[in-house]
Formats: sequence, structure tokens, C-alpha cells
Amino acid sequence: MWFFILAELLVFGVFFLAYAFARTRNVELFNASQLELDQLSGAINTVLLISSSYFVVRAVDQIRHDRSRSCAYWLIAAMTCGGTFLALKLVEFGAKIEAGISMSTNTFFMFYLGLGFFHFMHVVLGMVILGAVTLKAWKGGYSATSYGGVETGAAYWHMVDLVWIILFPLIYVLH
Amino acid sequence: MMKAATFQWLILLAMTAVAVGLSQASLSDNAILAPVLLTTLVKGRIVIDRFMALQGAIAPWRWIVLGWLVVVVGLIGFAFHMAQT
Repeated sequence: MWFFILAELLVFGVFFLAYAFARTRNVELFNASQLELDQLSGAINTVLLISSSYFVVRAVDQIRHDRSRSCAYWLIAAMTCGGTFLALKLVEFGAKIEAGISMSTNTFFMFYLGLGFFHFMHVVLGMVILGAVTLKAWKGGYSATSYGGVETGAAYWHMVDLVWIILFPLIYVLH
Repeated sequence: MMKAATFQWLILLAMTAVAVGLSQASLSDNAILAPVLLTTLVKGRIVIDRFMALQGAIAPWRWIVLGWLVVVVGLIGFAFHMAQT
């Protein structure tokens, strides 16, 4: 799993730097386009992903204490945050599409929509992984001595959070 | 252990609020660059070391992920600084 996570981080890192260096040639365009973003939605999404990561930490702690059902509850809390993140993202993307903004509008929106959608798909995959782990935890499939699956799912989810921690200031905050 | 995790979660939320607050304040682009990137670095380190529990993990995983964070955030800072000068 760690090789997979590192490969994902590398790809996101390349996209982040492509955005940052593309901006050096179009600062005014990037700054003007950034003003059209819903920063509040981005901030709420940051709170949601950070909180979901914390809930996953709690889930791992519970399974270490052999509390399988409690582990599942914390994972459900994390997935609720993840689901809300996805819903907010869909609203955000929908508003842009309604405003006639697409990837071909300009370079900024190409990165905003491309990076946003790429990260969105990772959150979806993370939800699928957490869902499978939750189901197994609910059925008592993990114990204090055997919880590798919970740790693996947690590592992937934290990676999704880590990427957003950079993506949010890069696209929504810095100008 | 969970008390520490709760504290770290609150720190992460507070740093997010600081970054958003800085971007809303009437400060120059240059003035917010370093503090926002610094909060990003600290947040990233908390997630890597504490949430991912890589602190104390077998080498080289922690250093690779931390190295990724520092290089990416550092180069973003360089690119934004270059754009401002």
C-alpha cells in the first residue's frame, strides 16, 4: 500500500508544481479567476477532511482495544464527513458548470477542475475502501491482534487528507 | 494517546482558520505567502507523523513522505515568490 500511496503523492506533487509554475506566467489571470471560487466551501471541505482523518485515527485506536463495533462507528463518522465533502464538491462543480465555466475556459480553471476532479475521485476510492473496512469491522472481522486492513484503509484516507491540505491553500488561498 | 490526537485535530482546524483569515485580511500577496505555507507544512507534518503514525516508523517511509511535503511546499513557495518579483 505504501508504494501505491507514494506513487499517488508523486503524481499530485507534479500537478501542484505544474499549477504553481504555470501561474508565474499568468498571475493576473490566475488571481482574477481565483476570485470566482467559493473559498467558504473549500474551507468547510478542509474541516470535513481533517475531521474525517481524526475520526479514522479514533477508529484505529478502538480496534487496537478490540472494540470492533466502536471502530465501525468511528469509520461511519469519517465516511459521513467524506460524503458531505463529495456533496459540497458536486455543488461547487455544478455552480461552475452552470456559470459556463469549463476546463477550456482558461489555464486556471483547467487546473482547478482537473485537480479538483482528480482529488474527488480519490475521495470516492477512499470511501469505497473505508466502506469495505467498516463492513468487515461491523461483522467483527478485525481484532486487537489482526487489524492490518483498518490501518491500510486509514493510511489511504490520510493520504487523501494530506493532498487536500496542500491543494486548498494552493488553489483557494494563495494569491 | 487520544487526548493528543484530539489536540492535534484542534490545531489542524485552528491553522486552517488562520490560513483562511490571512487570505481575507487586507495583506499583500507577499505577506501571506510565508505564513500560509508554514501552516501547510505544520498541518502536513501532523498528518504524516501523528495521524499516519509514521513518526518512529521503519525508515525510509517517514523521510520519503516528509521529504515530499517539504519539496512540494518549498517549490510552491519558490514559484509564488518568483511570480511576485
